[in-house]
Amino acid sequence: MTDDVALAFGEEWGRLVAGLIGWCGDWDLAEECAAEAFAAAVVAWPRDGRPDRPMAWLTTVARNRARDRIRRRTTESARHDALARLIDQAVQPPAEVGTGGVDDPEIADDRLRLIFTCCHPALPMPARIALTLRTLCGLTSAEIARAFLVTEPTMDKRLVRARAKIRQAAIPYRVPPSELLPERLDGVLAVVYLLFNEGYAASSGESLLRVDLTTEAIRLARLVHGLLPTADEATALLALLLLTDARRAARLRDGEIVPLPDQDRALWDASRTREAELLLRGSSGHTGPYAVQSRIALCHNLSERPEDTDWATIAALYSLLPATPVTELNRAVAVAMVDGPAAGLALAAPLEGDLGAYHLFHATLADFHTRLGDPAAAAISLRAAITLAPTPAERRLLRRRLAGLSLGMTE
Amino acid sequence: MKFMLIHTLDESAFPNEEECGVPVELESWATEMVGRGIELDGARLHPVSSATSVRRRDGRTLVVDGPFAETKEQVAGYDLLECRDLDEAIAVAAAHPTTAVGSIEVRPLEDGAPTVDLPEPDPARQRYLLLICAAMGAAPVEDAAHADRDPGHDPGHPGHDSDQDDDEDIDRWVDDLDSRGVRLFGWPLQHPSTAVTVSRPNGRTMTVDGPFAETKEQIAGYDLLECTDLDEALAAAAAHPVASFGTVEVRPLWAS
Repeated sequence: MTDDVALAFGEEWGRLVAGLIGWCGDWDLAEECAAEAFAAAVVAWPRDGRPDRPMAWLTTVARNRARDRIRRRTTESARHDALARLIDQAVQPPAEVGTGGVDDPEIADDRLRLIFTCCHPALPMPARIALTLRTLCGLTSAEIARAFLVTEPTMDKRLVRARAKIRQAAIPYRVPPSELLPERLDGVLAVVYLLFNEGYAASSGESLLRVDLTTEAIRLARLVHGLLPTADEATALLALLLLTDARRAARLRDGEIVPLPDQDRALWDASRTREAELLLRGSSGHTGPYAVQSRIALCHNLSERPEDTDWATIAALYSLLPATPVTELNRAVAVAMVDGPAAGLALAAPLEGDLGAYHLFHATLADFHTRLGDPAAAAISLRAAITLAPTPAERRLLRRRLAGLSLGMTE
Repeated sequence: MKFMLIHTLDESAFPNEEECGVPVELESWATEMVGRGIELDGARLHPVSSATSVRRRDGRTLVVDGPFAETKEQVAGYDLLECRDLDEAIAVAAAHPTTAVGSIEVRPLEDGAPTVDLPEPDPARQRYLLLICAAMGAAPVEDAAHADRDPGHDPGHPGHDSDQDDDEDIDRWVDDLDSRGVRLFGWPLQHPSTAVTVSRPNGRTMTVDGPFAETKEQIAGYDLLECTDLDEALAAAAAHPVASFGTVEVRPLWAS
């Protein structure tokens, strides 16, 4: 791909596909013709120069391809006849390609409709993620398959099924009405959040940071925030992702995980923290889960040294989150920094029933035991954590801690 | 007497279902049964991957991809029959081509079902089958106390003392959908203990007592809706009184 086309692809793929789906109602056709339009651009743009209005150019070419395909279909069903008629009626004869014949208002920004449909609760979560990456971000199914450690045919099938369900069950292509909007927006944000987490801390496998997925997640979070600027939780999610991503360069050293207190804070990306800080300005009254989490992250990112961390504020913020066992565990960590490890242990120990299979529960207990001067108990917890840790890098980190502990014991 | 035929298949054995047309045997079965006044309504469903299940718990609506129960065989279609008795319904089911590849659960409807008078499908709208599912408990005892009870629209859920309140809730639900032209038909089925499942694995008809799968929740009734889109069908499903303790599976129909 030439630079011009590659740039347009990154910027315009999602908008082009979204607009085409809105125009013809056929997801497969929209994707195929969007791909063909970009293929045509690879030939035409280096030859004729980049058009003044790339989006208009791409839309015109894609719509022409769509019309051709519909007419060429020999086994035309009545539905396609109707579709062809509809398209002929609805669309003015295209002006010459390259002169920007398609009016901008006609190329509505349908990406918001697209993301709400991709993240519809009637679709299985893996399909929501795959569909969002394919249609909005323009990742190929091979790329998505690689990112989620499944085979390409499996990913293809997932996408085909999702599109089939949208068509068969008549999942609407729209921004949900106001009574459904808060709940559906939660669903969209959950997909973006999951995507980021998948990229940031791969749940399995050796490759710890999947940069592509975190980049795509931030791009999507920006998109949702840009399209719904007054949605506090969408703003907060973007801030949270930026704050977490700001620490990316410091999170790994020589392929090994570096825990937050040991990270080289000079490597943190201050511009991302600043951007998030601006986004969160005036949000101190917001108590949505992303708003609270982003303010916790901001506390960390604004602390120049670990000992500067405002743990009292962080502990208070954790108590604003819904009291899930994992939230309580995090709150215990913060409380231990304020009131000492015994207070932390008192909060964390009762969570055993819920979190007994969670490696970070045992790692946290190990930390409390160590600080309380009980290396034997710490070693037991660390061994449990090592057994349960999902990735090799996390197991190595825990083993290093265990080794450090034995050293301390023999001294 | 009205019976529902619930067609079930192991879909994984039919990978390219969408591409196969209507088999000839199906056409001739339908032609015969319509001609005899037995077939009142019937439709094939899109594959189970298009199913969505709706529950309402603690005031929250839960929408989940998939059917009401993970079973080997999945509901693939239905027919509504008018038959003299169960034996006729079993014979009609056994003659259906589904029995060669899957099985058919035969379930009598509760008494009092209205006349079936369905409008022509609206091409701009989508039809959905709502399977109203609940944990059913043991078979009801037939005694004088039950004999005079009007089953109404109640799909028969056990352990609820306030049957009358439930009837009123269901009536409200039906009235609301009917007034908006969304609901085309619907009626509770008799208890799953009345079910008979028919298959014809090697050309020989096999009749087994009981529903097609022993699941915790069982199909207790159904409704046929015609909606603008899935969201409208999901909202109707979520508003169904049974959704607050059972499950409502929403299945799109093939356009005939």
